[in-house]
Amino acid sequence: MNWQAFELTARLASLTALILVAVGIPLALWVAFSPRRWKFLIEAVVGMPLVLPPTVLGFYLLVAFGSGTALGRWYERTTGGTLAFTFSGLLAASVLYSLPFAVHPMVAGFRGVDSRLLDAARTLGASRWKIYFRIVLPLAWPGLLTGLMLSFAHTVGEFGVVLMVGGNIPGATRTLSIDIYDQVQSLNYASANQTALVLLLFSYALLCVVYSMNRRSLLWGSR
Amino acid sequence: MSGRRVMEQLVNDRPAGPRPITDLQLVLKKAFNPSKQRRFALDLEFSAPAGVTVIFGPSGSGKTTILQCLAGLVEPDAGSIAVTGETLFDSERKINLAPQDRRVGYVFQDLALFPHMTAADNIGFGIRENGDVKSGMVLDILERFSILHVSRHRPDEISGGERQRVALARALVTRPRLLLLDEPFSALDDELKLAIISDLKQWLAQNAIPVLFVTHDRAEAAALGERTLVVKDGRVVGEVQIDNGR
Repeated sequence: MNWQAFELTARLASLTALILVAVGIPLALWVAFSPRRWKFLIEAVVGMPLVLPPTVLGFYLLVAFGSGTALGRWYERTTGGTLAFTFSGLLAASVLYSLPFAVHPMVAGFRGVDSRLLDAARTLGASRWKIYFRIVLPLAWPGLLTGLMLSFAHTVGEFGVVLMVGGNIPGATRTLSIDIYDQVQSLNYASANQTALVLLLFSYALLCVVYSMNRRSLLWGSR
Repeated sequence: MSGRRVMEQLVNDRPAGPRPITDLQLVLKKAFNPSKQRRFALDLEFSAPAGVTVIFGPSGSGKTTILQCLAGLVEPDAGSIAVTGETLFDSERKINLAPQDRRVGYVFQDLALFPHMTAADNIGFGIRENGDVKSGMVLDILERFSILHVSRHRPDEISGGERQRVALARALVTRPRLLLLDEPFSALDDELKLAIISDLKQWLAQNAIPVLFVTHDRAEAAALGERTLVVKDGRVVGEVQIDNGR
């Protein structure tokens, strides 16, 4: 097992999931409750990573991160470095690539909150924030937790975008999935098998937790 | 006790005596109800004094939409709503108070109790005061509606009648100036209706506010209502003063 790749993957997935909670909850709230007719345009952008080949997204991110774009030049001026082939670039790419895996379950969680309860809270004089913190968040938590866990798991398993944007730099951008690819290229099947098995068991355990949570939330709703 | 006798007893228990002049004035035109995805061709105008006014009518006649307009949950195309002299909505003067600012108590047909909160937390949700004052208000109304024993239970852990009382207590504890009841007793048997309507009548005897009570049940209407407005296709087609022999 490549522990350096393990640590880097865990750090990348944790940071991605945390950023996606901060970005994903407001975005999911807007998607779930906004009456705007054009919101499908934003929903389509959020869902794009589900259908785009990772290499397409990776390619455009690589171009965007380069010094030929305003974003790339701004980042270079601000930090003195580049986003491409760095951990920061990998993190930005992971956030974009895992966005739908966080936002979609969160939207489902928010939409599952009975609108009657929100009406009741409004007639009881509750402010928007009080309704959000006391009613919406507590009742939508299975969706939020599912979004958090799926975005973490999806980041752990990323390959195409990581390879395009981050390359394969030990300690900086070599994640577990890249490490498995490397081991196979070197015909080191035993080591590849060990890492692959860890990822397989991790993914299974995580999905068990997600499905178990969803089942409990369904039971809650039916009571 | 039979249902008829229960209701006869309720009619005879009606609180008597003069009440202060506090009333509701309402003019409503068309309204789109987003929860029903339907536009109701409302065209009604009435005023309601303090006491219980029953809104009676067939399904789909717009009864619930009228209550939702009063609570501020649905915005009518035109009209005006005033309670105890204060304007809640006026399309010409561009006044439309948010539901939060209307001080209108609403007991929903399905009660809409917060499933993750205890009965006490449900009741305390709308109270602005903090600490001991809030606890005291919750305790008082829990005792008054005989639900102190379920204060720490969530709605799914208590009976239908207890849930009904919690919903009523939650709407009344905020001291609303108008109370809206949307078929709240439809799922209860007659014995429970007797007990809960009796509790409600006692509260109303001490708090003279206008109450709009939507029901399909003539016996309920007779037991609690003082006058009945018959609504059909969004219009008031009849008005009946209920004579209880007082």
